[in-house]
Amino acid sequence: MKRAFLGEFEEVVLLTVAILDEEAYGVTITQEIEQKTGRTVGFSTVHTTLQRLEEKGFLSSRMGGATAERGGRRKRFFTVTAAGRRALQEVKQVREELWGSLPPQTLQLMGN
Amino acid sequence: MKPPRWANWLLEAFGHPDTREEVQGDLLELYDYWVQTVGKRRADWRYSLNALKLLRPLAKSKRSSAEYPPPFLLSPDMLRNYFTIAWRTLAHNKAYSLINVVGLSIGLAAAMLIMLYTKDEVSYDRFHTNNPNIYRITSRQITPGGVQESVAGNTGYFQGPTFTAGIPAIRAFVRFQGHQNDMKQGNEVKSQQVFLTDSNFFSVFSFPLLSGNPKTALTNPNSVVISEEMAEKQFSTTDALGKVIFFKDSYSDSSQFKPYTVTGVARRSPQNSSIKFDVLLPMVIKPEVMADRNNWFNIFLNTFVLLRPDARVHKVGAQMNRIYLADARETIKAMAEKYGMKNNVEYALQPFTHMHLSKELPADNGLVDSSNPTYSFILSGIALFILTIACINFVNLTIARSLKRAKEIGIRKIVGGGRYQLTVQFLGESFLLCFCAFAFALILVQLVLPTFNQLSNKALSLSYLFDARLVAGYVALFLTTGLLAGFYPALVLSGYSPVQTLYSLNRLSGKNYLQKSLVVLQFAIASFLIIGTLTIYSQFNYLTTKSLGYDDKQVISVDKSGLKRSELKLLREELLKQPGIMAISPKNGGRWGTIARVNGETQLDFQYETIDPTYLPIFRIPIVKGRNFSADLPTDSTQSILVNETFVKKAGWKHPLGQVVDFWYNNEKYRVVGVVKDHHYASLNESIGPQLFTMKPTNGFGKFFVKIKPNTETASLRHITKTFRQLFPTTPYAYKFLDVENRSKYEAEAKWKQIMLFGAVLTIFISCIGLFGLATLAAERRIKEIGIRKVLGASVPSLVQLLSSDFLKLVGLSFIVAFPAAWYAIDKWLQNYPYRIDISAWTFVTAAILAILIALITISIQSIRAALTNPIQPLRAGE
Repeated sequence: MKRAFLGEFEEVVLLTVAILDEEAYGVTITQEIEQKTGRTVGFSTVHTTLQRLEEKGFLSSRMGGATAERGGRRKRFFTVTAAGRRALQEVKQVREELWGSLPPQTLQLMGN
Repeated sequence: MKPPRWANWLLEAFGHPDTREEVQGDLLELYDYWVQTVGKRRADWRYSLNALKLLRPLAKSKRSSAEYPPPFLLSPDMLRNYFTIAWRTLAHNKAYSLINVVGLSIGLAAAMLIMLYTKDEVSYDRFHTNNPNIYRITSRQITPGGVQESVAGNTGYFQGPTFTAGIPAIRAFVRFQGHQNDMKQGNEVKSQQVFLTDSNFFSVFSFPLLSGNPKTALTNPNSVVISEEMAEKQFSTTDALGKVIFFKDSYSDSSQFKPYTVTGVARRSPQNSSIKFDVLLPMVIKPEVMADRNNWFNIFLNTFVLLRPDARVHKVGAQMNRIYLADARETIKAMAEKYGMKNNVEYALQPFTHMHLSKELPADNGLVDSSNPTYSFILSGIALFILTIACINFVNLTIARSLKRAKEIGIRKIVGGGRYQLTVQFLGESFLLCFCAFAFALILVQLVLPTFNQLSNKALSLSYLFDARLVAGYVALFLTTGLLAGFYPALVLSGYSPVQTLYSLNRLSGKNYLQKSLVVLQFAIASFLIIGTLTIYSQFNYLTTKSLGYDDKQVISVDKSGLKRSELKLLREELLKQPGIMAISPKNGGRWGTIARVNGETQLDFQYETIDPTYLPIFRIPIVKGRNFSADLPTDSTQSILVNETFVKKAGWKHPLGQVVDFWYNNEKYRVVGVVKDHHYASLNESIGPQLFTMKPTNGFGKFFVKIKPNTETASLRHITKTFRQLFPTTPYAYKFLDVENRSKYEAEAKWKQIMLFGAVLTIFISCIGLFGLATLAAERRIKEIGIRKVLGASVPSLVQLLSSDFLKLVGLSFIVAFPAAWYAIDKWLQNYPYRIDISAWTFVTAAILAILIALITISIQSIRAALTNPIQPLRAGE
């Protein structure tokens, strides 16, 4: 099976959606990334990534209820699909394998 | 707090339409958050930046997968579908397609032929580069005494040069005179049509020369220009410059042949040329002839003038008449004094290009005879009839068949086919069919062209088709036919409501008045043509079998110009040696006519024959009063005449014998010694006029008649040929049987008879295949009804009657339309004939019976088949 590649930012967004669980939509995802990673991300970047992930089949979305603060506009909530979860696990596994095969001296040099 | 408006507007206009709602919601929420955390200015900045990054300018034009694309009318996929469906429909309904293709191709072929014909007719003489400045001088004459007015395209030697000298608007004139001339080839003498013309012939008319100089070819009096064909025939080569041909001078009595040198070989004259020549000789006129002012009144040739482009034709006409009156004044006065006649001539100009289709003035003097434009109209009418009937078939059959296709239409509409799409589909089908028909029509035209040429007396060829105007005409014809045949059905079929077509098929079959009236129209046209054909047939039959008042059987006529009395005597002696030859009698050649005074003052215009005492007996023409000429009375030839009954009537004589006839031109007086019974000396297209017989010795004989015994033709003819060749070695010999010659006077009628017959047969045929198709469909539609009727005990004849009566009623109705129209038309046509049949009711009855019979046979085939089928099958099939 052809492996689905995840970009670094895509991975971050996908993980954030997974963390936020039921509450993942454009605003919460952007704020969560800012808080967790400390970097400023543009909403547009997050939005396009979300779109791309949905096209790749890692995310699914549904429209939620409208709220007054958004001018009566509805939210689009995202959830990670089975394919998305598998992709995350694969990434994690690759990382762990790589970490596991690090020689001990190198680890020490890194200050751990 | 409000985010920047321009950023919002940008998002509205260029954002992705599918995600616009949540994106705007999210951005608004974030904006509030940014205002609280980083302040309004930076929030505005971030908002705008994000908005800009979210723009998807092309998002709108991108097709979303949820929407169905609006169908494009002529999308290739749909076109292919139309074509496939059309092809399948046509292939599936072979009878229907065949009827339509056959009908349409016959109709189209007829129309194409007529277009060829008409194009040829109207294009006559248009190839001359000097057009439209070439005119022919015409004259209107009041004959001496004002008895008759006559118009002619003829002029004499005089008019051309005199008018050209006096009127600056006339640039040049060309005289053109045709006559038979004897030509010597080896030892054989042949009669050949030659034309005398002026030396500038080639600068006025555009006839290219293959060799020779067009400017000087006819300047030498002993030069001759011949055609390509003539050169081939005479010298077996077109390279004939400098070769010599011998012609006899037909105006002198000498039998000497004069040599003429070929100075030019002309290319074959176009088919649509009024001037078609094989031999052109220079016109040589002696000065004393030109000096004679009497020349104004002899008209025997055609004069063409070339006007300056800025000339006013009307003015030139007035100037011509002024010149004539001034120049001929003395002569007119002298004539008036001598004969007391009011002579008047009026000259006018006729455009050369109008000559061919001019009814009033024939093109004579060897020009190709003009043709009556009526022929073009009649032919076009017949072609139009045939094409209309074929189109009617198409419309009727398509609509009748539409019930079968109603389901297809319904489903097409339900899955989203628009009305105009269906219209395009049905029109496409009609065009496809029309295209097939068009291809067949082209083949058909090629096949029947020789026959058509023979009928119409033309030499048309398909190569004519490469004329842009004609091709355009054919394309227009094709498009019109396609539209005409397909438009109404397409309109009707596309208008069906899908619900009705799918649930209640029967409601669609209404009264269908259109279909019925079209059938009526078809059969009206067909019966009209049947009546026309029958009438022409009976009139032709009448003309060719009516007794002429004399016996023309077993009589041979031989032309011999300038036959002298002494030669006749010798000829008679020689010929009578052969036992099969019963009698021989001379007559003047051609038709002579003149004017004389009777009873002192009345002027009478009559036909004038020079004969001898044997003439009346040979033809068994009875003498009603008095006696025949007698060879024993020498005074008969100088003092006596015979007249016919009409002459007596016109002269108003109670006692004709002994009356005096005073010839106006030389004051000779003759006494009537006998009255001859009226007989048709000319064709039956003319009524019998006054006729006078003389034996005057100074009048020449131009031909003689030989009466032979039946069954001796071969021997007698051989003997006549031998004797003639012996006695007149330099005169061409040709003989004709008089009765055959008399029949040949009705060639025009014979041709029209054939053309009408073709037209009638074709229209009837096409009408009938249409009716056949309709009957088939009607029988199919009612097949269950027929089954039930049969099961309940209906007989086959009653079923046939049931199916046929509807159509027969329509055919009957068509007579009501056709009869008055036909009566009017044939009455008009018969008025042209002084001797004609009466319009009889029988013609109409026969036509009606014929039409009904043909229709009945056509319908019965289908009806009987339907009535004979096993009733169980259709009833079961419906379960």
